[in-house]
Amino acid sequence: MSMRSPLRSRAGVRGAIATAGAALLALSLAACGGGAPAATEPVNLVDTGAELDEITVALPGSLANLYTGVEGGILNYYVASTVQEGLVGIDETGAVVPSLAESWETPDENTYVFQLRDDATFHDGAPVTPEDVVFSLQQAQDEVASPSLSWYLYNMSSVEVTGANEVTVTTAEPDQAFLKNLSTAGSAFITPQAHWEAVGGAVGTSESLLPGSGPYEVTEFQPDSHVTLVRNDNWWGGTPAVKQINIEFIPDENTRLLAAQKGDIDIAFNVPIGQADQWREIDGVRVENVNDLSYVGLLFDQNVAPFDDAKVREAIALAVDRQTIVDRLLRGNGEVATTIMTPESIESVVGADEARKMLAGVTQHEFNLDDARAALEESSVPEGFELELTFPNTGPQLGTAAQAIGESLGEIGIEVAVKEVPIETWLATIGDGEHGLSYMWYFSTTGDPAEVPAYLIGPDNPNGFVSDEAAALLSESNAAADPEERIDLILQLEELSATEVVNAPLWWGQALTSFTNRVGLADYSAYSFVGPWGAKLFAAEVAE
Amino acid sequence: MLTTTPTPARQASRALARMIAVRVVGVVFILLVISLLTFGLMYLAPGDLVKNLLGNRPTSPEAVAAIREQYRLDDPFFVQYFTWLGNALQGDFGTSVRMQQPVTTVIGARVGLTVALCLLSFLIAAIVAIPLGIASAARAGSTIDRVSSSVTLIGLSAPTFALALLLLYLFAFFLPIFPIYGGGSGPLDTLYHLVLPAIILAAGLGAILMRMTRAAMIRELGSDAVSFARARGIAERDVRWIALRAAAIPIVTGAGLVLTFLVGGTIIVETIFALPGLGSLLQDSVLFKDIPVVQALTLVVAAVIAVIAIVVDLSYLALDPRVRTREFAR
Repeated sequence: MSMRSPLRSRAGVRGAIATAGAALLALSLAACGGGAPAATEPVNLVDTGAELDEITVALPGSLANLYTGVEGGILNYYVASTVQEGLVGIDETGAVVPSLAESWETPDENTYVFQLRDDATFHDGAPVTPEDVVFSLQQAQDEVASPSLSWYLYNMSSVEVTGANEVTVTTAEPDQAFLKNLSTAGSAFITPQAHWEAVGGAVGTSESLLPGSGPYEVTEFQPDSHVTLVRNDNWWGGTPAVKQINIEFIPDENTRLLAAQKGDIDIAFNVPIGQADQWREIDGVRVENVNDLSYVGLLFDQNVAPFDDAKVREAIALAVDRQTIVDRLLRGNGEVATTIMTPESIESVVGADEARKMLAGVTQHEFNLDDARAALEESSVPEGFELELTFPNTGPQLGTAAQAIGESLGEIGIEVAVKEVPIETWLATIGDGEHGLSYMWYFSTTGDPAEVPAYLIGPDNPNGFVSDEAAALLSESNAAADPEERIDLILQLEELSATEVVNAPLWWGQALTSFTNRVGLADYSAYSFVGPWGAKLFAAEVAE
Repeated sequence: MLTTTPTPARQASRALARMIAVRVVGVVFILLVISLLTFGLMYLAPGDLVKNLLGNRPTSPEAVAAIREQYRLDDPFFVQYFTWLGNALQGDFGTSVRMQQPVTTVIGARVGLTVALCLLSFLIAAIVAIPLGIASAARAGSTIDRVSSSVTLIGLSAPTFALALLLLYLFAFFLPIFPIYGGGSGPLDTLYHLVLPAIILAAGLGAILMRMTRAAMIRELGSDAVSFARARGIAERDVRWIALRAAAIPIVTGAGLVLTFLVGGTIIVETIFALPGLGSLLQDSVLFKDIPVVQALTLVVAAVIAVIAIVVDLSYLALDPRVRTREFAR
């Protein structure tokens, strides 16, 4: 596969922005059509072409470290993606596009040869060299230096400088998803080697900050307080419209809402679903929902009795009313998940409607309490049993859904104790040998269709599901060069998970982002915030 | 006593030094015990540092092994503890796993804000509550007594977060006098940002302090000394002063005690007001199992509490001649 870079000049960003008004209108309409209860007036924004001196962005939690290799939460991705760059990027449709590499070739299925652009510089003015790229990828692969990134690169067998501006990466096994991992949606956050060595590897702290080559430079970072980003006037992609982005960490949702009502906040990430209506009521503020590539489902640990019994798993899957959860509890801010992979992950290949149709073709466990009771009666525990279902405090919507699930399960004789725990504790309960039923809540960043299924069905999955067939399907799909054939193989993997009830998908999540109407974001999609989103902001006004 | 008789002043200062030395040795011992306890609790607490580092992602056994090796998680408990202790005794408190920064830097960057917050709220509580307690005691059952009793009831029983939201709404949104969130930049701006959080912390604190003051004063106003003073025709103002001097020991003890309670209160207030202080740091570090930070922070807090206790004890010497005589006579 080879891909030439489209010509991108300083006008490129502006050009993209010109279409933003129409795109935003479409998005607002789409949001309303998606069953959002509070019918907000669609806002038609136009780019004024002006610059904005500064905007304030509120994050719902703090970052402890800016380097995604040390802390790889979704908020870390949002911040790092507009500061650092990968070899490639992912556009609004999920397709791979050039970033620090202006083009690449794959002479064989295990080799990627990248030509770096020659106009990219780090924030201190030093050019981005192939050595920096090689060094960054090696550090990202190292599980001690970059614990939260290393998994993406487990398949990388070598990375070396092979020319004046050329880097060659080889993989151990063919993997169609590999290229996406070399973006800021995956694990490529190119950092200057000299700086890394000068700070002894302690990058991303309040002292060392996070040098990169992206459209914004970090000038200040104080955990539990703020990050300050200042525009990089030398960015190869053009000059962004916003001069300074003040990112404030405001963990308490009521404080955040009050600050927005007071007019202190221009953009707020992850508006809680329960507060969406209050945010929408703020004058001059719009809330936009977009599927965020997240998957929420139930995970059964087959190493814990009685979840080794497929009939028990089936009974639970049949007792969950996904449609009601999405309509009533999430108030339409989500979509019933028919599979583990999201429609967005295959949209760029088959289109949005066809994607949903294909995924719905996988065996479903439609809500039916009689069938659920019948399945439980055939199981090893016909008289029912008790279990504990924990949910992370950062996902209150998982908590309300857990209550509903617990109620349904109670009707068929399974008593559920729902418990809210800190996200770290929740993480530790998955596969702890005690919790047979857990929530799985996963944010895919690359949007590759195999990313989540591989984790939840493939080898070493947290479900204790052992299957040679699954492993074979996964490696076959990794190698499949034809995208449609690959989707078909992953669908077979999903079918296997569904018929054996390895997982019970619940919903695909949506991110609610609030914007004041003085700010617009061009090409807003599920992929926006794992790319150079700062450069896509523009000064807006509402068109009559 | 057999040889030269030291002057009373030298004798007193020697006694004082001995007393302080005994207390400091006690504190060091307590700190050691606390460090072992905290380490043990963190070791046993639910959660998994490796999972926190790797995130909710597929993992390879090699990656897990490498991280366990890096943080010496497979060492026996006492090896881990004594490694930590050995380093700590040499002044090396290690590196925060979560932030990848030296623990001393992490704590140093936040200690100022939390100390300022605690002092400010303590000052507000003391300045408001102690005079109010005295006034209430002097006119027990009067309107001022009843009103201030009701107010302290609210201060005692209102949950911090609810009070915080109410005051935020009233004084940062409805009447935009104070900022809603953040620690500000520069000393004056930070102080301005801390006023509202400090008032909220001071509410519970002041309520306890006011009640303690009132109770101590009522008791002293009914004492024989006060009755005699009144019988001698001493002005009521001066009588109250006598009573206050006698009531000072319970008031100071109470103030010292409630000051130590502040540490817990900062966690909630710092989260609500998005303040980068030690409370939020402690909470996040405990959840992440970032043991070096938790250890250092617990010791700092314990040491501060110990120092407050010593200062309170020493104040008895200044406040009460009877204590002074007894201590120095030993």
